[in-house]
Amino acid sequence: MSFKSFWHSIGNTFRAIRSGELLLRIRADKYYMHIMYLFLLMWMTIALSLQVDKTLTRVGDNKVALEQLRIHHAEKEAALVKLHSASAAQIRLKELGSEATLPQEPATVIKRK
Amino acid sequence: MREQSEIKDDIVGRDRIHVVMFFLSLIFMVLGILILVWIVKIQTTYTVDPRVIGLFRPVEQKHVDQPVRGRILATDGRPLALSAPLYDLYMDCTVRKADYAEDGKVEKEREWQNKARELARYLSAEFRDRSADEYANLILGGRANGSRYLRLQRNLDLSTIQRVKTFPLFKEGPYTGGIIVEEHEERIYPYDSLARRVIGYVKEQNRIGLESSFDSELHGTEGYEWRRVTDKKRWIRDLDSAAVKVQDGNDIRTTLNVDFQDIADKALRAQIDANEDIRAGICIIMEAKTGAIRAMVNLSRGATPQTVLWERDNLALREVGEQGSVMKTVTLLSVVEDGYVKSLEQTIPTNNGLVPKYNQDVHILDYQRETGKRAISVMHGFEISSNYVFAYLAENYYGKQPQELFDHIYSYRLGEAFDFDISGLGKPMVNRPGTPGWSGTTLGTTAYGYGISVTPLHVATFYNGIANKGRMMKPYLVESIEKDGKVVRKFVPSALNESICSPATADTVTRALRAVVNSGTATRLRGAKLPVCGKTGTARVVLTPEERKGSNDPYVDIYGRKKNQGTFVGFFPADNPKYTILVTVYSYLSNKSFYGGTMPALAVREIVDKIYALDSDWRPELHRTSRVPDMKAEEK
Repeated sequence: MSFKSFWHSIGNTFRAIRSGELLLRIRADKYYMHIMYLFLLMWMTIALSLQVDKTLTRVGDNKVALEQLRIHHAEKEAALVKLHSASAAQIRLKELGSEATLPQEPATVIKRK
Repeated sequence: MREQSEIKDDIVGRDRIHVVMFFLSLIFMVLGILILVWIVKIQTTYTVDPRVIGLFRPVEQKHVDQPVRGRILATDGRPLALSAPLYDLYMDCTVRKADYAEDGKVEKEREWQNKARELARYLSAEFRDRSADEYANLILGGRANGSRYLRLQRNLDLSTIQRVKTFPLFKEGPYTGGIIVEEHEERIYPYDSLARRVIGYVKEQNRIGLESSFDSELHGTEGYEWRRVTDKKRWIRDLDSAAVKVQDGNDIRTTLNVDFQDIADKALRAQIDANEDIRAGICIIMEAKTGAIRAMVNLSRGATPQTVLWERDNLALREVGEQGSVMKTVTLLSVVEDGYVKSLEQTIPTNNGLVPKYNQDVHILDYQRETGKRAISVMHGFEISSNYVFAYLAENYYGKQPQELFDHIYSYRLGEAFDFDISGLGKPMVNRPGTPGWSGTTLGTTAYGYGISVTPLHVATFYNGIANKGRMMKPYLVESIEKDGKVVRKFVPSALNESICSPATADTVTRALRAVVNSGTATRLRGAKLPVCGKTGTARVVLTPEERKGSNDPYVDIYGRKKNQGTFVGFFPADNPKYTILVTVYSYLSNKSFYGGTMPALAVREIVDKIYALDSDWRPELHRTSRVPDMKAEEK
């Protein structure tokens, strides 16, 4: 391409822009569907990305909730286990004024003949 | 041509929109060119101010997930140690103070202070450690003094901290309410002091017990993930970055039986509490067939008798010392196994209780006086725990080849520290021929329990071998390693020595041990609910140089005081042993004497009686002999 024709093309482009015909001259209408498809893809990317953010936020919240449940479980388990020893039971029975003590004999098992 | 120029003029003149569009297009083109120039400049010469870089980079941070430490479980799955965070509550009393100090905000400051008083009422009602006025003075005083980190409570659980967060003022969050909550992971031991020395702990450089030995299993592996902030200012995981999933620690299932541990702990406490000369006491309960340790109690006082009994040191593993008469069983087992003593009724001359080079045994003089006999059976010598009888047996049968007895001692694994689940098992000291401690009387003293120093665990393991008909099991504390209730690794019982003696020898020695309980030094156990056999032992403890203070006797200080240890070790039921038990008590420096047949035997009796009532193996069976007929409605 000669220097003259280059400037000619530039001039044509300016004129096309000025008259609002640039897209028609370069036949952009041929790629209309492609442009729309690209637009759709970009829109979907953004929408999915927002959904992923939302889901991950819920995952984070659930992780915190699960951790709190685990802590609650451990605390309650420790509290329960504390009461579940022979000594603890005896102390509690004494506090309540009960005369029950640890068994002195093993429990008898009844068996079918 | 004229017509065309007219048209052109008309267009230019009439359609100003084109002109506007032209200039707009021009502006955009110029802007475009400027952008192009700017891009070229950025790519070639432009350097960004470092302060600005941070503003353009996506906000990300590395979040490290700490693993949850595994639990230590009893044999039935009850937790002995588990992890949960605890929370410390602080308050920034100066929050918004400077803001409210501005003109026109006096009312806001008054309102804050009123809320603080209400908060004080809630705190007082929740914790009951201070009155509402005291809490109010604390908070408002802190505000006046500029306290930014006022400690209100420590070690609160999650439920409490969640309630506290709903209190007046605190519910407005840290920027108005001044609430500061600090979380720290804590190890919870639900049974307090029970088996604490066996369970142990890991605190920076201080590491003991199972917590230390199995730290790599319990600890787990840290995980991390990169997090980014969303448009709604929430932190979420950045899926584009690498992440490592946290691996929580494995659980350790021990062989400990909480009920047995509780029973042994209580029985031992009762004996020690009743005597302020007792410094410490230990108890080991081991399953005969497997070597599984079902209870290991290590109670000791501090420097003075007034201090609280607590699991301060694992004496069962670490206290290497001369065990006294309980070691006579070693000699008896050896002479019977070697065939030197064919029958327990075999007699030896009494010789007025004198073996050349050894101290006279006054028990023999008593025996001679009471019976008028000049010979004593091995069985009776064992029953009354005669030093003379065992020194005689050793000198008579092993005098020419002492190594033979020591070979037995080593085969009973009493000369070495075997592998155990908790580190720190004491190394025995044996004065055998050729060692600096060997002298003309070492053979005899070893035969009756001096000159050889072992740990209580060694003694219990040896007796367990007799209970198990000669098969000496390796004691162990950990049954399995588990993950989420599923067994990852299982530890099976193993033998330290497949046969320390023949079953016949074991039966013979068991008969002798039974005689000790029936008519010897451990008659306090005669009426136990399960037949027990075992041996008592009383030993003097070698004093430290500080305790001796110039005394030449290693066992006695200048005031004539001694440190004693009394032991009972045996197994039950005698006919089909299920458990081996050892109880030892250690005294402070004292003028009193302590015997294995008293406190230790009483503790053993209490333990045996309670285990009998709890263990399902000894439940009596009642067979149903009659059948109740089915009920039928009467026809009318």
